[in-house]
Amino acid sequence: MSGSMTSAPEQASLRWLALLLAMASLAACGPAEVVVKGNFPAPLMQKIPITLGVWYDDAFAHHEFFEEAKTKTESDWLVRTGEAQVQMWDTLLDGMFTRVVHMSARPGPGQMNPTVDAVLIPQVEELQYAIPAQTSVKVYEIWMRYKLQLVTTGGNPIADWTMTAYGKTPTAFLQTDQEAVNLAAVMALRDAGANFATTFTKVPAVQAFLQRKLGTPGEAAP
Amino acid sequence: MIRMLSRILLPGAVLALASGCVTSTVDQMVFNKPTEDMSNASVVILGRRHASDYDTEPDFVECVGEHIADGDGRIHVIDELEFINTFYPWFEPRTAPLRVTDLERLMRQPPVAEKLAALKTEYMIWLDGSTERTDSAGSMTCGIGPGGGGCFGFGTWGDDAKYEATIWDFTDRAEVGRISTTASGQSYMPAVVIPIPIIAPVQGTACDGIGDQLLQFLSSGE
Repeated sequence: MSGSMTSAPEQASLRWLALLLAMASLAACGPAEVVVKGNFPAPLMQKIPITLGVWYDDAFAHHEFFEEAKTKTESDWLVRTGEAQVQMWDTLLDGMFTRVVHMSARPGPGQMNPTVDAVLIPQVEELQYAIPAQTSVKVYEIWMRYKLQLVTTGGNPIADWTMTAYGKTPTAFLQTDQEAVNLAAVMALRDAGANFATTFTKVPAVQAFLQRKLGTPGEAAP
Repeated sequence: MIRMLSRILLPGAVLALASGCVTSTVDQMVFNKPTEDMSNASVVILGRRHASDYDTEPDFVECVGEHIADGDGRIHVIDELEFINTFYPWFEPRTAPLRVTDLERLMRQPPVAEKLAALKTEYMIWLDGSTERTDSAGSMTCGIGPGGGGCFGFGTWGDDAKYEATIWDFTDRAEVGRISTTASGQSYMPAVVIPIPIIAPVQGTACDGIGDQLLQFLSSGE
């Protein structure tokens, strides 16, 4: 006769409980992770009558930011913005230009790509964030610097400029750190869209390109 | 009978007493009151969010909007988030018009002008300000054991609210009024087993103060 004090279903339950505890303890050791998610509205503006190609390189489409904890009381942070970046830029560009085409490869000599007037290549050069534990102010902030390139399908540069974006969560009331960082990132992405939409036609090299292409400097923002 | 009465009256008395005192002032300066009633027009109330150290709280903007809509059913108040999303990117912190003259430039964008005309927006009201914690004192300890849990101690804190509403007339493209309000109050939280919050409704008082004046202004048309 078996000396076991528990029945088979009880043993299975205990195994599950042990597994859950082990997973919970492992999760406690991992970094605080945020996969940025949000809804981005289409811009309300007159479309610029050109066919724009867009190329998101792998680093942009899967952009993430990792920061190691500086003290034992802090946790590591992993902020994944790639998916939200692509979602925001796709919505924005669709509303800004008459036609937007996704390139099948990075523009360059001999690359097989659809014919377009110009190709935009956005890149996140730098991302910084601040949470109340670091700032001692109850505000969550995200700051980003983009490198934007406008090139021909052959990869020749048309314009090259940088642009910043900033977003903050005014209060952390009833929000977890992750939710607050997500909201700050969504605000920063909205700000990036607003900055791009209102300054694109004011970039001197872009203005010159639109002048050549359309005979006008495009629909300048107010 | 006395026991039954005390059961009914005691919680009521506690609830009545359980709100701290608030002092508030309201100033208004109105130049041109509406000449027609607001039954065929709409109003949008927006919060200012361009300052680096504070944001006008979205729930305060919502509170003022509800106060006006509840006070006069003829006034259609457009939801702030819905408006900002519809007019993206023109009312983001970076791009929102700061002066009434900026509206002219905004209206040069045909899709923006068309959308505003479709909404029949008669007034745009900007709310600028915030509610801040001024001081806090006291301490409280809470514990839990096999026989139950409880808290012991005393806490107190003060809140200051300062808001200004600026009314822009869309038809005349002019600023037609300014209303400002300040409110301050002290909240208390004594705890003997159960914490009893005695909250001073500072933001609510500021909302009622500014909401009443705006309601009076918007309802003054023939």
